[in-house]
Amino acid sequence: MNKNNLGSYMVTFSEQELAKVKEIIAHYPEGKQKSALLPVLHLAQDTFGGWLSTETMDYVAGLLSIEPIEVYEVATFYSMYNLRPMGKYVFEVCQTGPCMLRGCDDIIAYITSKLGIRAGETTSDGMFSLKTVECLGACGYAPMMQLGKYYREHLTPEKVDAIIAECRNAAASQN
Amino acid sequence: MGVQLLLEKVNVEGIRHYDVYRREGGYRSVEKALKQMSPEAIVEEVKKSGLRGRGGAGFPAGMKWSFIAKPEGVPRHLVCNADESEPGTFKDRYLMEFIPHLLIEGLIVSSFALGSHDTYIYIRGEYAWIADILETAIAEAKANGMLGKNILQSGFDCEIYVHRGAGAYICGEETALIESLEGKRGNPRIKPPFPAVQGVWMRPTVVNNVETLAAVVPIINNGGEEYAKIGVGKSTGTKLISACGNINKPGVYEIDMTISVEEFIYSDEYCGGIANGKRLKACIPGGSSVPILPANLLLKTAKGETRLMNYESLSDGGFVSGSMMGSGGFIVLDEDQCIVKNTYTLTRFYRHESCGQCSPCREGTGWMEKILWRLENGEGKESDIDLLWDIQRRIEGNTICPLGDAAAWPVAAAIRHFRDEFEWHVRSPQEARKRNYGLAHYADPIHVPVAG
Repeated sequence: MNKNNLGSYMVTFSEQELAKVKEIIAHYPEGKQKSALLPVLHLAQDTFGGWLSTETMDYVAGLLSIEPIEVYEVATFYSMYNLRPMGKYVFEVCQTGPCMLRGCDDIIAYITSKLGIRAGETTSDGMFSLKTVECLGACGYAPMMQLGKYYREHLTPEKVDAIIAECRNAAASQN
Repeated sequence: MGVQLLLEKVNVEGIRHYDVYRREGGYRSVEKALKQMSPEAIVEEVKKSGLRGRGGAGFPAGMKWSFIAKPEGVPRHLVCNADESEPGTFKDRYLMEFIPHLLIEGLIVSSFALGSHDTYIYIRGEYAWIADILETAIAEAKANGMLGKNILQSGFDCEIYVHRGAGAYICGEETALIESLEGKRGNPRIKPPFPAVQGVWMRPTVVNNVETLAAVVPIINNGGEEYAKIGVGKSTGTKLISACGNINKPGVYEIDMTISVEEFIYSDEYCGGIANGKRLKACIPGGSSVPILPANLLLKTAKGETRLMNYESLSDGGFVSGSMMGSGGFIVLDEDQCIVKNTYTLTRFYRHESCGQCSPCREGTGWMEKILWRLENGEGKESDIDLLWDIQRRIEGNTICPLGDAAAWPVAAAIRHFRDEFEWHVRSPQEARKRNYGLAHYADPIHVPVAG
């Protein structure tokens, strides 16, 4: 454990996750462990509720022996790091030119009407967030969204319905 | 079907895995390079091939390699740029997802040529599942003695690591990528020093695009001269084109650079024509940064020659009447598309992705986005068009990295070729809100081919 007093907030990697951190650090030269920051932040976000709290960032700073500010400046730069809690399922819909040409505006409007949330908002039950994003490199398969690790492509209103149902079912089966 | 050097085997069942890839002739270039060739000889073959960087700038790859500094006792690194983020571009993703060992093979040979024992693949963070595919391919290659210590008893050691970014277009710029690999914000560095002298961890570094490194495989297998025979002029070899927008068959195509733009768009072998029986209005042929061209200037140069899908022909006429090959992100717009709206979404993209270091880019992209938004939404003024032109001129060439130029060019080209459409938005705000300008009056639509 590092110098940060984490109190009752359980921001602590498991043995397995710590081994993963060690493995990532080993990819870089001796003394250049800061290079592991981006991958370790991904791991931290996945582990600690899908976003990076100040506690989480401070914890990562301790793990890599760097100053907390070095983590904050990185976490605020890259769009994949969430700096506030997000819904359990985050629909990240691309809105850049090539997706616009294939009707992403209609898909975003459809999601808004189905879930009652606009871009940047989360449903009151904490289930879904809608985020508009810039080009994800799926231009030939537009319109599209990222959902967790994977892309959902060639979106239609029917596909969006199916994805929403799939998420609800997955959440229900976890309870 | 033309010559296929990269994607020929992409549809072979199981090609994603080592055994099948090897059975299909994979990793021959590693054997040849490590057993029969010196690093210098490999660099020489790549020079002979005429291979140009496939990320967008088109700089000769062999020449870039020859710049790497070799100070005594300082490790050198090869970094693969898999940050593919230019709107319209999804070719590297396709290659890595479906034939990952081709990249790994190219990386091993290139690492040997450059003396890189620790090589990195910097992949955009959103391609998370592709990072897994690459990790698997690396593990398979290592299990079969193609990576690790003393590869094929040659005495050469090499490891490849996958490093995921976290969502930042700017990290495709090589010095920003290096900063990001060091665990920092992706702020481009001032050059010189160039990465070849002081790159990652201040060590000599070469950064190459995925497709460039994959192309090293056929160059070593067949020889640089054979590679240079394909294509035309300084556009040697094959190029991956990712085609998208309003076409019947969006996707990734490997072309030899002798076919015409018209054939690429209308042939069933490639894009299969414009979707829904519409007419071609315009195209951004090389990723969102390059100038948009109206249909007539896309299909024929200003001199009236057939425009071909290669570096020279696409840039014929400069920015006045030509465009660029860029990254090969080929974005097609049909007659229903609004140029102002398209330009607005691209400018929003660049405003979002500007790292904020240089004022002209940070402030300029924001102002351009706001002005384009009001034009698109019927709140623009006649003077806004000249103001936009003025702002983009003040960004171009005045920033540390090329993102400023990349943000300026689409706006400049849209105004240059479609000024009447901008003016229509100002004069007919109610109309502009309801419908699109279509093909009306723009650049001689008589010559725009009709689908079918």
